[in-house]
Amino acid sequence: MRNDCIGRGCRALCLALMTLPILQGSGQEVVQAAELLAPETPIAEVVDHYLGAKLTIAGVAPVAVAAPATLVRRITLDLVGRPPTVHESREFITSTSQQRRAELLDRLFADPGFVRHQANEFDHMLMVGGESIRDYLLQAFGDDRHWDEIFRELLLGRDDDTQQTGALRFVKTRVSDLDKLTNQTSVVFFGVNISCAKCHDHPHVSEWTQDHFYGMKSFFNRTFDNGGLLGEREYGLVKFKTNFGESRQASLMFLNGTVLEEPASKDPTGEEQKAEKAKLEELKKKKQPPPAPAFSRRAQLVEVALQAKENNYFARAIVNKIWHRFFGVGLVVPIDQMHPENPPSHPQLIAWLARDLVSHKYDLKRLMRGLQMSQAYARSSRHGGEQRPDARLFATASLRPLSRYQYATTLRMGSMNPDRFVVSDKIEELQKQIEAQENAARGFAGQIEQPYDGFQIGVTEALLMNNAEQVEKEFLSDSGDSLVGKLKTIEDSRELVEVAVWTVLNRPPDEQEIKSFEAYLARRVDRKLDSCRQLVWALLTSSECRFNY
Amino acid sequence: MARRRGNGFCGSAEHLVNRRAFLGGTALATAGLASDMTSLDVLRTPALANQLRRRGKRVILLWLAGGASQLETWDPKPNRPTGGPFGAISTNLEGVRISELLPKMAQRLENTAIIRSLNTKDGSHGSAARMMHLGRRDEPNVTYPDLGAVCARELGQADSKVPDYVSFYTATEGRGNALGQSGFLGARYMPMFLTTNTKPENLSRLETISDLDHRERMDLRALISQRFAAGRDSNTLDSHNEAYARVRGLMASEQLFDVSSEPQWIRDRYGPSLFGRQALVARRLVEAGTPFVKVSRAWWDSHGQNFETHLELVSELDHVMSTLLDDLKSRGMLEDTLVITLAEFGRTPNINPSLGRDHFARAWSASLTGCGVKGGTVYGETDADGQHVKDGEIGAGELFATIYQALGIDHQHEYFVGARPLPLTNPGIEPVSEVLA
Repeated sequence: MRNDCIGRGCRALCLALMTLPILQGSGQEVVQAAELLAPETPIAEVVDHYLGAKLTIAGVAPVAVAAPATLVRRITLDLVGRPPTVHESREFITSTSQQRRAELLDRLFADPGFVRHQANEFDHMLMVGGESIRDYLLQAFGDDRHWDEIFRELLLGRDDDTQQTGALRFVKTRVSDLDKLTNQTSVVFFGVNISCAKCHDHPHVSEWTQDHFYGMKSFFNRTFDNGGLLGEREYGLVKFKTNFGESRQASLMFLNGTVLEEPASKDPTGEEQKAEKAKLEELKKKKQPPPAPAFSRRAQLVEVALQAKENNYFARAIVNKIWHRFFGVGLVVPIDQMHPENPPSHPQLIAWLARDLVSHKYDLKRLMRGLQMSQAYARSSRHGGEQRPDARLFATASLRPLSRYQYATTLRMGSMNPDRFVVSDKIEELQKQIEAQENAARGFAGQIEQPYDGFQIGVTEALLMNNAEQVEKEFLSDSGDSLVGKLKTIEDSRELVEVAVWTVLNRPPDEQEIKSFEAYLARRVDRKLDSCRQLVWALLTSSECRFNY
Repeated sequence: MARRRGNGFCGSAEHLVNRRAFLGGTALATAGLASDMTSLDVLRTPALANQLRRRGKRVILLWLAGGASQLETWDPKPNRPTGGPFGAISTNLEGVRISELLPKMAQRLENTAIIRSLNTKDGSHGSAARMMHLGRRDEPNVTYPDLGAVCARELGQADSKVPDYVSFYTATEGRGNALGQSGFLGARYMPMFLTTNTKPENLSRLETISDLDHRERMDLRALISQRFAAGRDSNTLDSHNEAYARVRGLMASEQLFDVSSEPQWIRDRYGPSLFGRQALVARRLVEAGTPFVKVSRAWWDSHGQNFETHLELVSELDHVMSTLLDDLKSRGMLEDTLVITLAEFGRTPNINPSLGRDHFARAWSASLTGCGVKGGTVYGETDADGQHVKDGEIGAGELFATIYQALGIDHQHEYFVGARPLPLTNPGIEPVSEVLA
C-alpha cells in the first residue's frame, strides 16, 4: 500500500482499498464473439433473451407488460418529450393491430418532435448545464447524422462553421481548463471518470495509472483559445509528477492503453515563438482561427476511439447511456464508471448491443427502436410483492422523473382544453401547435431542476407549484383554451372527472377515483370554478404526472 | 433521501444494500459498500444522529462580500506605512488590540476567537468565494456541498418545519454572485435565497385561494400520489411527496421572516439598516431551529477609497454584530450558536494610488464567536506590516475543520459518492485546537 502518497484523499482511499473485498470479475471481461447471439437477431429479442436468462437464474419473475395507456405515454415521452394527446392515447389503446407498438414507434421517430427532444436530451448530456449547443444538435439530428459523425464534429468542428459557434463549442467552452476538458470528454463519450487517476494511480482500477489520465490529456494539451477561436499547436508534450515525486512524460495514450505514434515534437525556439505569437495576434484581430496543425493530436482521439475493436469504450458508453435513459438504470452503474473493475450487470448484452451499434454505423435510432420493442422496456413499474426486485434485474420498469422540458410541456399540455388537439387530416397543424406549446413551456422549464441519478426534488419546486402566481396564470386559468375553462362548462360530474383525468394523466379514471373526485366536487357545488381549478392542480402536481412510469 | 421509514434506507433505488441487510452485516452488505454506493452516510445510524441533534447547534455566517480589510478590522497595523489613518484600540482582552472602528466588539471579545493567519492563496472573487464557502475546491467531477448545505444536513431535522439553510444576499452583490452550492448532497440542501425582500419566494399563499382550499387541494394531491406510489419504490418519488409535505410547515414559518412581531426596542437596537434587519431575522430563524443562516453584507471590495468604505461598513458591522451577540447571549443561545465573520479574502497592506486596498489572500483574518469556541483568544500572527503570516498559518481547510469541530461535527466524517469516500475536510487537515473550547 502506498503509505507515502501525497495525493488528495489518498490516505482515506488507501484505507478503503485495504478493506475492500475482492470484487467479482476482476479485469476486463472480454466476451468472445462466439458466445454472443447471432448478429442478425433482432435487438428486442436479444434484450429479452439476456435479461430473461438472468431473471431465471435469480429466480425472479418479471411483472406483466404495462397497461396500454401507460405504454403509449411512456413511449411518447421517451421519443418526443411530451405526453400523448387524448386522441393519440385513445388511438393506441383501442388499436387492434398486432403491430401497434411498432406503428407508434415509426410514427414518433418520424415526428419533428423527435429531433427536438433528442436535441434537448443530448444538450444536457453533452454540456451538463453549461452553455447550450442545441441549435447544432437540432441540425445534426434533423439531418439524421449518426453518433460517430456527431462525435467527430463535436471534437473537431465542421467546415461550415468557421466562427466555431456550433459543435466545436463542446471543446471551446472547456479549453480554459484542460483537466476538465479531458475528464468530461472521457465521461461523456467513453463513460469513464478518470479524474481519480490525475493525482495518483486509480485506487480501484489497477489498469489505470496516472499515465492514463495524462495520456488522455495529451490529446488536448495542444488545443488553445486564440481570441475566442480554437487552435492547435504542432508541439507540446504533457509532463507530470507522480505522487512519488517522479517526473514523467505522458505518451499519447488512449484509455485502452493504445499508444499512438506521432511525429517528434520540437519546442519552438525563442525566435519561432515570437513569430508565432505575432501571427496569432494578427489572426485574433482578423477574427480567424489559427490554421490546423499538420498532425492534430485531437483528431487522433477521434480516430483511435472509433477504431477500437474489442472493448470499444465509445460504443459501449453510448449504449449504456441510451439504455440508462430508457430503463432508468444503466447496464453499468454508475454510468460514468465503465471501467474494467465495475462489471456490467449483463456483459453479453452490452457486448452484443455495442457490436450491433458499430456494425450499423452508430445509428442511434435503430438502437432506440430495438430497445423500445422489447418486452422488458414495456413492463409495468408496479411490483407485485412486498419489495421491488433489484432494479438491475429489470424485472419491473423504473420510475424516471421527467426532465425539465418534459415536465413543463406536460404541465402546459395537461392544462389545455383537449378539444384544441383534435386531429383532423391536418397533421402538420397539430405538430405546429405542439411545437408552439413546447416553446412556450421552455420559460417555465427554467424553474424546474434537471434530474440526475439519485435526484431529490426540493421544496422550492413544491412551493413554486403551490404559491407562484405564474402557475396560477399559466395552468389554472379558465379561458376557453384551458382545461379548467372546459371543465367548468361540463354539467355531468362523471364526465367532468373523465375529461380531467384523461387530459392530465392520459388515461381513464377508475371507479374509485371517479367516486372520490365526484365527492370532492359535490362538496363544493356552489363553487364549481374553484373546485375545477383545485382538481386540475392536484392532478398536475401529483406524482403520477411528475414521473415517467 | 429516504426518511425513517420502515423498510427503506437512504440511497438510490439501485442501492445494493437495504437497511436490514446492512445491519445484518452480511457479505452482500459489504459488497454493497464497495461497489455502487450512491447513498450517503451509511455509517451513521439514526440513533446517533438524533443524539447529536438534540442540543441543536446553529450557525450565523456574516459574509463580508467583496473582501473586508483585516487591517481595518481584526488585525490593525497602526503607525506602519501600511496601517492607514485608523488606529487600534484596546479590548477587554489583555494585550489584544483591534481596529478603532470596532469599539463595541472591542468590549465583547470574551466569546470570540480571532484568527489572523489565513493564507488561502486565491485572490479572485469568484473562485476564492467558492473556496471559502466550501472549505476546499471543487474537482472536475465532484461538486462539494458548501458550509450551509453541510450544516443543514448535519444539524437539521429531516422533516423540519423551518427552512434549514437560508441565505441573504444583497442587490449589490447580485444574485449571480450569491453562492449556494449543495453539491452531491442534492437539491434538498440548497439554500433559500432572499434579498431585500427578506422573505422567501412563494412562501405565501396567493390571495386568490383560501387557506382551506389550499390545504384541501394538497390533500387531494396527496391522495392521488399515494395511490400512484402503491407498489412502486423510488427515492425520487419519496422526495417529491416529502417536498410537498413540507410546504405548509414552511409557509407557517413565513412569520419568522416578519420582524414586525419583535418588540420595537429590539428592532431599534438592530437598527434600520438592511444588514441589521437581516441579522434580526437570522436570530429569529436560528431561534426557531434553522441550523444555518448566511447574512451577506456587500460590497467590501475597496480598490478605491478604502478608508471611507471601511469607516461606513465596519461601523455598521460593529453595531450589528455586537447587537446580535448581545441578543443571542441574553436569550441563552450563544453557547449553541456559532457566529462567523468571513470573506473571500482580505485586502493588501499596500495602499494604492486611489487610497484603496486590493485583493489579498496571503495574510488575512476571520472570526468565530460562540458555540464550541474558546472565547477571548487570538490565533496566528502576521508580520509588522501585515504582509505575511508569521505564525499559525492556516488555509480554508483548517478553518472549516475548526468550524465543524466547534459544532460537534466530525471534520473527518465521510460521505460516499459512488465508491469514493469524501471526507468533510481533506485528510491531513487538522482543526485549530487553540480556538476550540
